[in-house]
Amino acid sequence: MSEAVTPLELDGIGKRFGRLSVLRGVDLRVEAGEVVGLIGANGSGKTTLLNIAVGLLAPTEGERRLGGRRAPQVELADRMRIAFVTHTTQLYPRLTARENLRLFAELRAAAGDAAALPDPLLERLGLAHAADRMVGTFSRGMMQRLALARALQGRPQLLLLDEPFTALDRPGRERLAEVLVEERAAGLAVLLSSHDYDAVVAVTDRVVLLEGGRLGGEARRGEGPEAAGYRDRVAALGLLRPSAGVDGRAEEAARA
Amino acid sequence: MRLPRQAWLLAKNDLRQELRDLELLATAGFFTLVVLVMFGLSFASLGRKVQPLAIPGMLWLAVAFVGTLTLTRIFDREREADTLRALLTAPVERVAIYVSKAFVTLLVLLGCCLILVPGLVFMFPAAQVMAEQPLRTAALVVLGCTSYAAVGTVFAAGLATSSGKNVLLSVILYPLTSPALMWSLVATRALLERHPDLPTYLAQLAALDVLLVVLGGWLFESVLVGTARSATASGRARGRRR
Repeated sequence: MSEAVTPLELDGIGKRFGRLSVLRGVDLRVEAGEVVGLIGANGSGKTTLLNIAVGLLAPTEGERRLGGRRAPQVELADRMRIAFVTHTTQLYPRLTARENLRLFAELRAAAGDAAALPDPLLERLGLAHAADRMVGTFSRGMMQRLALARALQGRPQLLLLDEPFTALDRPGRERLAEVLVEERAAGLAVLLSSHDYDAVVAVTDRVVLLEGGRLGGEARRGEGPEAAGYRDRVAALGLLRPSAGVDGRAEEAARA
Repeated sequence: MRLPRQAWLLAKNDLRQELRDLELLATAGFFTLVVLVMFGLSFASLGRKVQPLAIPGMLWLAVAFVGTLTLTRIFDREREADTLRALLTAPVERVAIYVSKAFVTLLVLLGCCLILVPGLVFMFPAAQVMAEQPLRTAALVVLGCTSYAAVGTVFAAGLATSSGKNVLLSVILYPLTSPALMWSLVATRALLERHPDLPTYLAQLAALDVLLVVLGGWLFESVLVGTARSATASGRARGRRR
């Protein structure tokens, strides 16, 4: 039986911008089929860490490993296995939703990698009705869902999400949470940064706290009697507070 | 086949968006017309003998102006919605981005030359040679515009996220494109004077194109990734200030 390869390993990652040290000695692994939440105050280095993971930034120190292989540069072959969704969505506003997906699917196909067809993905993310609308006319939440559809169309092994729940209404967040839970079951590794307590608790297996550029603590979803305390353990990290009216429905739905 | 295929897909994507709003073509085309009319009004009284000295300047000065206008906007779509980073994190050859942007810039420049060259022929008798030798004229225009687009696209990418991009692009672009423009000027004058060495000039211009395209493709990735990194860093810094 072959050993599962770890999609993302960051060992001793440090990052400086000039004299400003943003990350210091960050060790983080995200296993296949695991959803890890990255939380921290504004400016704690979450986005920098995600940018390093995807190769948009080079670490000043430490080592990045992708799929079990050292990756000082994130090469084209690595980019086939990674998807990154940021809060800026990065979609062409003058293309329709379908055209946006088709462009990246064709680029992927040209690189020798088959991509999922746009229509089923649009259906899955609740955007089938808007497939032929210009993305510039979309609400922020619809763009966020479309960006996720584009990320998933390459069937990545590692999905990086920077504030994916921003601008999503409750149904949108629940749909995104459902998609993440389904993808996790299919073996996708996910690293997401978020300030949304309910969403983080609902979809993650583990939450790590980034504080002043260092890892400051961790809460892990347990099994058996441990399982019930996950919400409290995440809250105990101190940065995310349970939102008003939390009734645990999202978590229950996710676990189901 | 990955590089040409991806370059074509990206260029097709740019052209599709361009045909929807005509942002580049309308601006560049109208600007070309204005420049042409101004040249016509200013130099209409030039004697036929001195026209071959002025026409190359008018042609390539207009190309340089229109080129700068185009290059300041060629990455606008990527800048506007941050799609440059989507391309950089997708399995896309970075050189394909360069080739596609240079190709679209070239198409816009050639579109403007479709207005410029007949306009010059119509206004200046000495430019009749261009109508009499359409293939050589076409070769000259394509080769000259290619060298401009090859150099300009690299620096347009480098300044894609700079707030003072228009000023910086002009300041950097004109000195760097001068050799290509001057070569084109010399070749245009040879065309107008029916110089027997015109094929040699054109061959030299083609060699310059190859050199500039290879150099541009080689430099592009580091320029583009550096730009995205600095954009990420400046975005962070802005976030901290807030």
